Amino acid sequence: MKSTQYSEKTLEHFRNPRNVGTLEGPNVAVGRVGNPVCGDMMDIYIDVEDDRIKDIKFQTFGCGSAVATSSMITELVVGMQLDEALKVSRADVADALDGLPPIKMHCSNLAADALHEAIKNWRGGIKPEDATTTPVEKSCHPRPAEVVEVEIANLKDYKGGGVYTRVDDQTALAGQRVVVLDTGDRAAQLAIDLTDHTGRVVFMTTGKEPSVSSAVRSALRLSDVKLLTEAQPLELKGESELERIRVHDLNEDEEYELTADALVVLE
Amino acid sequence: MRDVVYADYQSSKPVDPRVVEAMLPYFGGTFGNAASLHAVGDDATAALEDARAAVARFFGAQPQEILFTSGATEANNLAIIGYAQRNRRKGDHVIITEAEHISVLNIAKYLEKNGFKVTRAPIDLYGRVSPKKLRARITDETILVSVGWASNEIGTIQPIAEIAEMLAGSGVALHTDAVAAEGLVPIDTSAVPVSLMSLSANDIYGPRGLGALYVRKGAQVAPVLLGGGQERGLRSGTEDLASIAGMAAAADIMAAEMPAEAARIGAIRDRLAERVLGEIPDSHLNGAPLEPSGGRLPNNAHFRFDGVEGEAMILSLRDEGVAAATGSACSSKTLEPSHTLISCGLLHEEAHGSLEFTFGRFSKVDDVDRIMAVLPGVIARLRVLSPLYKAKAKTPA
Repeated sequence: MKSTQYSEKTLEHFRNPRNVGTLEGPNVAVGRVGNPVCGDMMDIYIDVEDDRIKDIKFQTFGCGSAVATSSMITELVVGMQLDEALKVSRADVADALDGLPPIKMHCSNLAADALHEAIKNWRGGIKPEDATTTPVEKSCHPRPAEVVEVEIANLKDYKGGGVYTRVDDQTALAGQRVVVLDTGDRAAQLAIDLTDHTGRVVFMTTGKEPSVSSAVRSALRLSDVKLLTEAQPLELKGESELERIRVHDLNEDEEYELTADALVVLE
Repeated sequence: MRDVVYADYQSSKPVDPRVVEAMLPYFGGTFGNAASLHAVGDDATAALEDARAAVARFFGAQPQEILFTSGATEANNLAIIGYAQRNRRKGDHVIITEAEHISVLNIAKYLEKNGFKVTRAPIDLYGRVSPKKLRARITDETILVSVGWASNEIGTIQPIAEIAEMLAGSGVALHTDAVAAEGLVPIDTSAVPVSLMSLSANDIYGPRGLGALYVRKGAQVAPVLLGGGQERGLRSGTEDLASIAGMAAAADIMAAEMPAEAARIGAIRDRLAERVLGEIPDSHLNGAPLEPSGGRLPNNAHFRFDGVEGEAMILSLRDEGVAAATGSACSSKTLEPSHTLISCGLLHEEAHGSLEFTFGRFSKVDDVDRIMAVLPGVIARLRVLSPLYKAKAKTPA
């Protein structure tokens, strides 16, 4: 079955999603599930009163079924007791949509998980700003935004083969995919300057935000630099020259490879 | 069918009505089997060889260097598996690139299961393979290099002539899947010394279900389909004469019209790219630059939009009467994002936000206006839904 062969009801929810948005207030909790790597990310906000879901909103980055299941579950559980809402399963959501294509049953049917997570966070007293994306180990302390000592096992092997500790001639990096590690303002400014010479500059930081001054941070935001947060480089790969960086996604606790020609770690 | 703006020429093209006309005589009139010895068979043989000559002419080949197949997928199988098996005693190493079409990727996996070693050469920011990096991967065991003439996805044209020059005389054969480039840029095997080249009839507005493999004189391949020994014993099965005549007609039409057509399609593409990048915030072009010297097919516009997922865009555009494609995982059977985009250096979330438009012979300038009448609204609507895009916009400046 083609991924786009959705039921009419699924398409209708995709076209006219209910309860889009976020909630704020003392009685609000959020459940965040999925990750951008697999293509779906979902936030479900609940406003709780007398152990009931008084209001519910969602935001979803994902395909048609990711949007439709989010929308559907908000309709299913609004007004429900929390215990009752916890019993609403992925299958219930799929059934309510007159079924989903088999290939979408797992990956794009995360709405029930997000709701359960929101209820758990509500009961655990975890505020929306502290809620992490599951699955991760629970921690009430956001990761500090200080510079983390970079420990790339084989960094030395690529000195002169794509790893730079200083960049005297920025034009030498023209047309290259450059990753600049967050070592503070100077590195961030270099990343911004490099966008004049190449179409791809990634500024990689282990923190939730780059560890730079607020002026540089806003300059970064406005620039063409791609900001990659909560990412820890682990290992460099490539035949004699740098080709890929193995990265640990600290939020999802997952590893992936990022293609790159140059890695700048300022001294 | 209701009136749809079709901007997905890379996945399928309409058959040119002139081609259909050229095919009709071969259903009831000249219906013979070219292998038969009677006069009806002789007519079929004559028609088959005329068609072979026409197809060969368009690609700068000799007629005996063209074998007809059921499509480019079969041509890729015959070229890569057939060459690897026939030449195994010389070595067991094959090199492909990270920008290949899925049919080549899966053939490479099959070779690995059958004892061959396969290396995937990297591509740059624009999707281009570096001849230098390719050469660094050649070993004494390397027998075949397979590099697509251009990417079917982001439209990047590979330095195929340079790679062919580099390999000439080395004993390593070069195969190219030329399907994405057919009819858009000149493909001349008399100037570019490839050993094997896969072709599709539909990509020059001929019928689907027919392709061809160019086999340079001297290149040895083993058949992968066995039977009555048609096509010099390399591709058994009675020839599909009507389709073959269709491919020949398509090649003749393309030979006459390609220069003007490619320029016209390129202008439509440029207009779309200019409007998308100018009018939609946080939109980016994937692949090579648009300038004529940029090394990009003129039909291809490939974008990504921050915070928006590809399948959701396709579904929304479908509702608005626009047919396009995406490299997002959610639209694929494997649920993995486009390997080409990842190899270009994009993050997964960026690859998921990709949208591909490809234009062709029947595209019109006002297709761009019709696309732009709906695309900004689709992106804006999906961004309202998206936690990723909100997160970016909300960050205090």
